[in-house]
Amino acid sequence: MKEFKYSNWAREIEVYGYDSMVKSHCRMCHGGCGVLVYVKDGKIKKIAGDPDCPINHGTLCTKGLASAELVYHPDRLTYPVKRIGPKGSGKWERITWDEALDTIAERMLSYRDSYGAESVVLGYGTGRENEAVIYRFANLFGSPNVLTAGHFCYGPRIATSIITCGSNPIVDYENHPKCIMVWGNNVVISNPDCYKGEPFSVALDEGAKLIVVDPRLTRAAARANVWLQLRPGTDTALALGMCNVIVNEDLYDKDFVENYVHGWEPFVQRVNEYPLDRVEQITWVPKEKILEAARLYATTKPAAIQWGVAIEQQINCADNDRVLMHLMGITGNIDRKGGQVLFKPPNIRNVGQFGAHGVLPRDQRDKRLGGDMFRLASRFSIINPKCVWDAILEEKPYPVKMLFLISSNPVMTRDNAREVYRALEEVDFLAVADFFITPTAELADIVLPAATWLEMDYIADFWKRHGYILPRRKVIQVGECRSDHEMLNDLAHRVGMGEHWWEDFEKALDWILEPTGLTWQDFKKLDFLRGEVEYEKYRKDGFSTPTRKFELHSTVLEKMGYDPLPQYRETPESPYSTPEVYNEFPYILITGKRLPGFFHTENRQAPSLRELHTDPIVEIHPDTAEKESIKDGDWVIIESPRGRIRHRAKLFAGLDPRIVAAQHAWWFPEKKDPGHGWAESNINILTDNSYKTCDPAMGASSVRTLLCKIYPEKT
Amino acid sequence: MNKYALIIDDELCWGCRTCEVACKQEYDHQVKFIHIQEDGPRVEGNEFVYFHRPSVCQHCDEPPCAEACPESAIAKRQDGIVVLNYDTCTGCQNCIEACPYNAIGFDEEKQTALKCNLCHHRVDRGLIPACADNVCLAHCIYFGDPASINEQIDRKRRKRQTK
Repeated sequence: MKEFKYSNWAREIEVYGYDSMVKSHCRMCHGGCGVLVYVKDGKIKKIAGDPDCPINHGTLCTKGLASAELVYHPDRLTYPVKRIGPKGSGKWERITWDEALDTIAERMLSYRDSYGAESVVLGYGTGRENEAVIYRFANLFGSPNVLTAGHFCYGPRIATSIITCGSNPIVDYENHPKCIMVWGNNVVISNPDCYKGEPFSVALDEGAKLIVVDPRLTRAAARANVWLQLRPGTDTALALGMCNVIVNEDLYDKDFVENYVHGWEPFVQRVNEYPLDRVEQITWVPKEKILEAARLYATTKPAAIQWGVAIEQQINCADNDRVLMHLMGITGNIDRKGGQVLFKPPNIRNVGQFGAHGVLPRDQRDKRLGGDMFRLASRFSIINPKCVWDAILEEKPYPVKMLFLISSNPVMTRDNAREVYRALEEVDFLAVADFFITPTAELADIVLPAATWLEMDYIADFWKRHGYILPRRKVIQVGECRSDHEMLNDLAHRVGMGEHWWEDFEKALDWILEPTGLTWQDFKKLDFLRGEVEYEKYRKDGFSTPTRKFELHSTVLEKMGYDPLPQYRETPESPYSTPEVYNEFPYILITGKRLPGFFHTENRQAPSLRELHTDPIVEIHPDTAEKESIKDGDWVIIESPRGRIRHRAKLFAGLDPRIVAAQHAWWFPEKKDPGHGWAESNINILTDNSYKTCDPAMGASSVRTLLCKIYPEKT
Repeated sequence: MNKYALIIDDELCWGCRTCEVACKQEYDHQVKFIHIQEDGPRVEGNEFVYFHRPSVCQHCDEPPCAEACPESAIAKRQDGIVVLNYDTCTGCQNCIEACPYNAIGFDEEKQTALKCNLCHHRVDRGLIPACADNVCLAHCIYFGDPASINEQIDRKRRKRQTK
């Protein structure tokens, strides 16, 4: 009998004649999976999951497996270039790193001299583990403006969890929750911040009950014991309704509520404003189902809520996050084994320290764009993107002269794409670091070739809240590509900040690790480090909040002049808030369903991933399709009050006929003209970024809930 | 002799399609050996039926593709693996028509039929087929002895509380 062993790397090397296998840590999404990288003749030949990794347990996703297709792609930018034609002309000339970084440094210093450090904005896209180094650079340079996705992605979870209970409560899948409520999240496809689909799937195998809150049917929703198919954007009302049931049926954790929460009475008053009749009317979810879900969640112990970004990309962003934490809190699932835990990191210098937030002078911090408007965001160094576009286009409240975007493609990913495009055309100087010349990079003055995860040493998951850090080990060098970290370390010396930086970036890793007594060279010999695991820490220490309690009623929000309790606001564009718009645009458009293989705008070049999805797809209920004379596979026009785009129709019965579901971040790298079809199917041609449509605390825009009409494209 | 099978518990499949890409990493063919198809959603009674069904060669006990092949290019090995020999295939496509699972493709460039040979080049050297080698996040792709796999699938099913 042959001995078969999963991920048998020694045998794999022998059979295929690989030269070596390097263990590393993937970063094709937010990062997070341990991998085995097989190398032959200095080239990556195969990537597999690392069975010893505590995060993914040997499994991997499409993106990780296909990384080499991205790394060795013929279109990949492998040396710095400067633009030699007009913006968007696609005319580039190769330059050296020295010329590129010297030019960038010179511009930065001259704008700082003439307009102040705040006129230089650094930015990154979704979390690519370069956040801390970018913030460090900006803070030391003196700019309070770092343009991120943090206003509507993960930033709100961090900000609201810190003010509510001290840290982001992470589902303790390792100890198998008995009930999991998946809220606006397709964890098995999206692998969201701090989570992978695998442990969730295993927890279901171990017998967990499942509740799914999602306007769209997913496989998880089909498997769920209760599926709450809510009207998009009404999550806060639904959660307040569930709190109402839990409070009024006495299903809450008495000990926790009596001893460890702040603001119980006002909270009870607030939830009493959301009786189920009202909640049913708002959410379109039958009240019997809400009751059933609330009871199941509150009476099954331990229970957990698997949340994600969808609830944050709405006008109720901060309150959505907060009310879900309130559900976790009042049911006693916070910091409980098998519930959601406030995990402790290993004893390292954390992202806050590394990010050097403390060194930004107060007068500079006070200049943070949108700081008066989106005060919770600003407290966490987050800005609303429109504030940057306005500062470029209208020079209000002061001019922004330079953008340095690092792994970010805002032309595709930020709401009101046409305004973004205008701002990038208008800005005095734009530098971009990325793998490819994207539609955003096409507007740059200089584009720098960024290294992928396979081309860098780094402490992976440094910024996460699950308590692990893992070594990402450099496997190969491609062209002249450099990691964002090395690039900024070098640039820091060129703008005269060398004393706060390092000779090379490995020494920065040593500095982060120093409190553990390890150097990078020591750490890289380990599989991972984990912080001490301890449950119910609040019993002795309280929570890390101003009242030392779990703040149902937020003293921080109150001080900032916000409603200290979660409330439901109607979506800015909806059948109820804008009936006149609804007359002309009679469908609710949801966006941003996650697709296997893609990570926002990325990977549409990789053949194995693109063949999974060749075209942008809009899902339409068969009844709606019939009404609008649309057939499966037709190209259709989706039109909102702000513009129109084209997608291909797919008939999908797992949606309310009043809702259609389109995809985000579609551009076409195979189109060789410099626009790469950026406006053709770009969902952000349809979205709105006006301040009044944003969450008042975080500045999140409502990119996932709009009104639209849909009709066949005339051929 | 061992009897090997690739069994996928499609109740557990999430549709992440990682198996498709793992297969692709192993082979540079244009034809897909394994692919995930959506089944539904449709309403039955008060419930939605919605599955992701992996479609791949079943390595049938009495493979109709082997019978249909005039060149005897397809044969079932004693260990259960049904192998299509690309060198002797003439591209007549009879097997493609004969397969009830729609699991055989045609390579236009090479003018041969192509199907999953259960990574026999790996299996014969003690390695698990690419799609089953600890790839799937649902742990629903099994390789090995069919009786013990079915036992595991049953055991897991009994433990589950979801629909």
